[in-house]
Amino acid sequence: MAHADTETVQASSRSSRGRIVSVFRHMRRDRQLLILFIPCLLFYAIFRYGPLYGMIIAFKDYSVFTGILGSDWVGLKHFEKFFASADFWLLFKNTLLLGSLTLVFGFPFPIILAILLNEVRVKWFKKSVQTISYLPAFLSVVIISSMIIDFLSPNQGIINQLLAALGFEKIYFLIEPEWFRPIYVLSDIWASVGYEAIIYMAAIAGISPSLYEAAKVDGAKRRHMIWSITIPSIMPTIIIMFILKTGSMIRVGYEKVLLLYNPMTYEVSDVFSTYVYRKGLLESNYSYAAAVGLFEALVAMTMLLSANFISKRMGGNGLW
Amino acid sequence: MVAKGLRSISLFQIFNTLVLVCLAVATIYPILYITAVSLSDTSYVVRGEVTLIPKGFNFGAYKEVLMDNRIPRAYLNTIYYTTLGTFINLLMTAIAAYPLSRRTFFGRKFFMLAIVITMFLNPGIIPNYVIVQNLGLLDSVWALVLPNAIWTFELLILKSFYESMSGSLREAAVVDGASEYRILFNIVIPLSKPALASIGLFYFMGHWNSFFVPMIYLNDAAMYPLQVILRDMLIFNEGGNNPSLVDAAALAPQAMKNATIVLSMIPVLMIYPFAQKYFAKGVMLGSEKG
Repeated sequence: MAHADTETVQASSRSSRGRIVSVFRHMRRDRQLLILFIPCLLFYAIFRYGPLYGMIIAFKDYSVFTGILGSDWVGLKHFEKFFASADFWLLFKNTLLLGSLTLVFGFPFPIILAILLNEVRVKWFKKSVQTISYLPAFLSVVIISSMIIDFLSPNQGIINQLLAALGFEKIYFLIEPEWFRPIYVLSDIWASVGYEAIIYMAAIAGISPSLYEAAKVDGAKRRHMIWSITIPSIMPTIIIMFILKTGSMIRVGYEKVLLLYNPMTYEVSDVFSTYVYRKGLLESNYSYAAAVGLFEALVAMTMLLSANFISKRMGGNGLW
Repeated sequence: MVAKGLRSISLFQIFNTLVLVCLAVATIYPILYITAVSLSDTSYVVRGEVTLIPKGFNFGAYKEVLMDNRIPRAYLNTIYYTTLGTFINLLMTAIAAYPLSRRTFFGRKFFMLAIVITMFLNPGIIPNYVIVQNLGLLDSVWALVLPNAIWTFELLILKSFYESMSGSLREAAVVDGASEYRILFNIVIPLSKPALASIGLFYFMGHWNSFFVPMIYLNDAAMYPLQVILRDMLIFNEGGNNPSLVDAAALAPQAMKNATIVLSMIPVLMIYPFAQKYFAKGVMLGSEKG
């Protein structure tokens, strides 16, 4: 570090030609590292910055034959078409609702699980429950969706058999719109609670035991300690997780939506990403779909920035 | 002594244990159920008599799956994509993290900023697709492997792991006149096995379980990996009004479907007990970086 500092100081005091020489000297010194860095550089240039550049097709009429550069500019045509269409408000509402329901109902569960696990005194029990709880993180979204479909199946599904045994009517869960959101949110909690609890478990493990001992001496009960030691201690982690979740809220798990939705539930289940997939890849309206995707990306960015801003304003930690 | 022991088991402890047992059961039951169905006779399954223990125990469904003309090939495809993909991921990440971990590396700050920014800028499905299409990678294994050759999160994790390593070995190697290549491949990478195992696990899971990427980039059904075939077997809800979606579950014989699921889960469940340590570590490292 000190070496680099002297170099920059020397460089800035020299002429611009001297600065160029010093840059070249630095490059020559690091040439082996630079050679090692080439694959990484190429990867980020092509597959991370390339698509960012590719976003310009949202302002063009892209087709495979004319290519990204050769297509005609059309300005905001696709955006205007999207904002004017009936789809826009429906997608906006569905995406925000699905995202915020998942956030609001899903967010507390991993925290609660971590706190409950922390209160378990029997080690093997704690470890077994934790291990089992994050098993779903290893399952693919296709498998999870297929389990959902099997369990909710009108004829053989366990849920409907239970309903039948209790004398209720059969429910066609996957084609009745009012069931889509609960199914989506509940299955999301099932699949992610154990995995996300790991982060809070780690935060809890970092709390100094002396805090609990001091509280014990003062005669505090376990539940008091949860409220006045455990939760305040993991608050920074909770806030960071909340910011991250808010930022990615609009990017609802479209893979699962894609697997669980059907035209009969589009009115509640169709979200930006699934719409982009259908319009762009199934109907080959690349530019229109790219415009929708760009709008989605802008909304996501705005939400992340505002969550970060609000958190900082309230005196909490931000991401940066 | 006894009285004290009893008193220390509070109402809260009982309630807590109950809640956690329920959670564990709710998590594991669907997986056990699927396995039970895959081993049961179809007639019991249709009547909904299978709950936890297979009825009319047989391997018929597995035989059917192995005789099927699509599933074994898809299984081999998945193994191929996962092996190649994970290898490329690990190699690229292990090499890329090294220069970035060196404090005096040329342009380090600029490169780091350019890399971290990409975590927050997600151009979405279409621009990614268009780039892959323009590079002529559609319908090839490279479309599955190259566009996600490095996960930025895992790169940052490995970079901080390299940084935390003691510099004395490296300095000794420099004194001996070793090149950066030798230091990386003979010292740094062998010493990073725990970190590589941890991020390798995430890469492996990512490839094994991915369905959306192969679904959009591959048109040739002979190239489909298992997850795409599974999706075709399980879910028919795209496009028009398919009347059978009322009971999509009835489309494929339940036992055969579940046998395919179980087969697809076997490698994952096999590494699962060994992976726990690395898995938890990876999640935590990730959260610290987050």
